[in-house]
Amino acid sequence: MNQHQSILPDEDLASVVLSDLKRVVREYATAATESTCPEVRKLFTSLLNSTLQLQGQLFTVMQQNQMYNTSSPALRQEIDKQGKQYDQTLQKTNQFVQQRLSIPQQQPVYYTGQPPAGQLGQVPFQQQPVPNHHSPVQYS
Amino acid sequence: MLQPLTAKELEYIADSMSNEDLLLKQNAVLASSSSNPALRQTAQQFIAVHQQHYQTLLQALHQHAGIAPTQPQN
Repeated sequence: MNQHQSILPDEDLASVVLSDLKRVVREYATAATESTCPEVRKLFTSLLNSTLQLQGQLFTVMQQNQMYNTSSPALRQEIDKQGKQYDQTLQKTNQFVQQRLSIPQQQPVYYTGQPPAGQLGQVPFQQQPVPNHHSPVQYS
Repeated sequence: MLQPLTAKELEYIADSMSNEDLLLKQNAVLASSSSNPALRQTAQQFIAVHQQHYQTLLQALHQHAGIAPTQPQN
């Protein structure tokens, strides 16, 4: 029965299935958000989760069998750049929110510019849990 | 509580069954033609899941058929 007659090379066929799983995940998400009946929304949400699981499982199998090239690692300086930029965004947003409401503020968590002594080189978001009550970061 | 399906929900359910059907067939091809045992096994397992998804969607249609209006509403 299993003649292994390839219609497409293994990795191409697996890629087709993976692409379709990704597309179907998006369609279930859209369907759930556009549902009116709570039961129908629940149905699409559960199919979304199940399909997402299949997609992850197939991806893992493909990766283990060298059928998938993940993109190259992001460089440290690029991560730092984004971290700094979004810390600034967070501060501006905090000010914006503070002008309108008085609610507890989120703290910048990513980048202080000056890593605490003894923690040089440590990747910030591996320091878990993230403290959320240290003093706000000042930018020079 | 069950509400009548909207026309949009019906379209999504129908499209979803079409998607599940396609994935089922693709996995049948993968399960029978791949030379990689891990891929074959994965595809075989997926077939069962897509069959189940399809059944669930079909059941939802049946459940809602009973409360659907037979005349266009306004």
